[in-house]
Amino acid sequence: MKKRIAAITLALTFSVCAAAPLAVAASVGTAAPQTPAIAAPAATVAPAAATAAAPTAAKAAPAKGADTQPAKVTPNRGITIGMFALIIAITMGVVVWAAKKTQTAADFYTAGGGITGLQNGWAIAGDYMSAASFLGMSGLISLYGIDGFMYAVGPMFSFIAILLVIAEPCRNAGKYTLGDILSFRSSPKVVRGVAALSTVTVSIFYLIAQMVGAGKLMQMLIGIPYRVSVIGVGALMVAYVVFGGMKATTWVQIIKASLLMGATTLLCILVAAKAGFNPVSFFTDIVNNPAIQDHVRLNVLKDAIPKAGMDYGQRFLEPGLFLKSPLDQISLGIAWALGAAGLPHILMRFFTVPSAKEARKSIIIALFLNSSFFFMISIIGFGAALYLTPQGILAVDKGGNMATLLLAQHMGGGAGSLGGDVFLAFICAVAFATILAVVSGLVLAASAAIAHDVYVNIIKDGKADQHLQVKVARITSLFVGTSAILMGLAAEKENVVALVALAFAVAASGNFPVVMLSLFWKKFNTAGIVSGLVVGTVTALALVMVSPVMTYPKKVAADAKKIVDTLEKKQATGVALADKELKTLEKSRVEYEKNKDGSSMVGLDKPIFPLKNPGIVSVPLGFLAAVFGCLLFRDRRAEDMFAEIDVRQNTGLGIAKATDH
Amino acid sequence: MAETSYDWEKIANNSKFLELKNKKRSFLFSWWIISTIYYLLLPVISGYFPEAFRIKVIGPINFGYLFILSQFVVAIGVAAYYAHVANKDFDRLTKQLLDVLN
Repeated sequence: MKKRIAAITLALTFSVCAAAPLAVAASVGTAAPQTPAIAAPAATVAPAAATAAAPTAAKAAPAKGADTQPAKVTPNRGITIGMFALIIAITMGVVVWAAKKTQTAADFYTAGGGITGLQNGWAIAGDYMSAASFLGMSGLISLYGIDGFMYAVGPMFSFIAILLVIAEPCRNAGKYTLGDILSFRSSPKVVRGVAALSTVTVSIFYLIAQMVGAGKLMQMLIGIPYRVSVIGVGALMVAYVVFGGMKATTWVQIIKASLLMGATTLLCILVAAKAGFNPVSFFTDIVNNPAIQDHVRLNVLKDAIPKAGMDYGQRFLEPGLFLKSPLDQISLGIAWALGAAGLPHILMRFFTVPSAKEARKSIIIALFLNSSFFFMISIIGFGAALYLTPQGILAVDKGGNMATLLLAQHMGGGAGSLGGDVFLAFICAVAFATILAVVSGLVLAASAAIAHDVYVNIIKDGKADQHLQVKVARITSLFVGTSAILMGLAAEKENVVALVALAFAVAASGNFPVVMLSLFWKKFNTAGIVSGLVVGTVTALALVMVSPVMTYPKKVAADAKKIVDTLEKKQATGVALADKELKTLEKSRVEYEKNKDGSSMVGLDKPIFPLKNPGIVSVPLGFLAAVFGCLLFRDRRAEDMFAEIDVRQNTGLGIAKATDH
Repeated sequence: MAETSYDWEKIANNSKFLELKNKKRSFLFSWWIISTIYYLLLPVISGYFPEAFRIKVIGPINFGYLFILSQFVVAIGVAAYYAHVANKDFDRLTKQLLDVLN
């Protein structure tokens, strides 16, 4: 069986490797890569980056290849593909090494508990440093100034809840999955079933968003067609997880995090050096930069005539250019502060270290790495605005997603120079490694929930030998990975922003309350877990479905109509439209016709719930449901067993060792 | 597995354990709540009192920018302080408790 899985995975991998050069060759001749926003390739800033880009993507999508971009990033293909190949080769080497060491279920899910705090810290930090933060967030800062920087605080701060109340208790009380922690003193089968369902839901939403983001990013960076890149990324991801389990997944994440930190640090130092290492003069230059002033006035605030007494340069350093709804920000803040602690693929990483002390160390290292990372990203973002001008960045991608890449090219010596080419190619390769690493962790978390919770503990009553457990885990990973590829292919045109919002909302409103209450509340029981998970998840899902993140065709149609009207009016006055305007007119007409009678996925014309982030409503509801459910159906046994979990989580007594089998 | 032989109820009422548990709970929850409130001040101030963020402090650098930077400092500060207390107190108490039990 193992051989059969190996064969399928290898076939997938090779078919892609063989297809890639062809595809690249083919795409050289085709039109410039589109500007699909990096829809949401990530954990971190996905909602913002994608929101900024969403209108662009919506407008650009129907006119495939018709748009000619005034500017584009053109990485040197030879150098870029060489670097990609190098990354694939190194990570595959890691997989071969890890595969030899993966013998038991504990090896597969938690690398046998043999990861050190330092290594795990880098891996966790890597889970947070996604392509969206690396490319999207710096872009956001380069276009909207301080609002983008404010956005970076959430992912960084989410470590505090994890550090103080989640990581160590979970390490002490758990084994492999969310289900292990929750089923401790409740009816194991019911709870494991519900926990597995929630884990798979969160991971799959997240995974699809990543796959779509990966496809679009690769298409944008080096012009590999969407389908080829989704299959390629998917095949590599499946290979990492199926053969190498947690060990390979962790090491791929560590390699990527080091590359990313290295690239970010280098770029940040170059910007700082150019500014003479003087923050005051750096920001003074930004405020006095005429291009930034014009950008804020015309593109962001749309003041055709300058308002008297308005300092548009200084406005770039003031909030409110991008983040408009305060309540939405608070809601998002709640999701960050709590949701990250409920993400199954993060939770799973605490089990890879041998003790609670190492778990603590890993979170502190991750926090330190990530705060440095997000701070450096802000310097890169402001640097891009100053040295490339927002107009220059907008010309390449309306979401600003190319800011980091353009800056790397610029700092390396400019387009066409060897330094510029090498630096740009390196950054592209780092972005590629980033995607690979993040998706692998997600596949592993979803597979663990299915294989360990559902198959081994529900179907087999926990009676399965190591050999069978690992075999099942491998088959499940192959299955989850393949499904993710298929769903990624099907979701090319979908609005994946909603999926990331969903994953976070479900983690914060469903998982977080029940994990907390299981660990800290004596009366908590099966009924509480089930009602908390179900109500939290369903509320979050329902609110996102009726929120402004979904696509509302009538709104798209209205926007298109506005453009049509403006241009037709212009035409009516006898002015000949430029080529570009004629194209826009045609495109908008088609758009209008296509969308005027449509409604959103749940049949709405406009959103019912005003916020993009449901956290402010769904998190309290999740907590309330958990508390009420548990008080309605009191359970003596669960209360009696609290002593055990209380002692375990506080002291680590009886901790699940990797060698316990 | 050997650990099933522990008398959890008895350990849960051990005075050393109660000391450890109470110290941990009050420390962790109070710092968690304080830091979360500090974090949520960011969207609250920037959303409802944006004038505050506009106050210039050093040249063009305003209070808003410094407040965002302070979030990083506070997060690292809380983490470092927790690491210090945990290494000094919690780990020591845990070890004492485990020594008594074994």
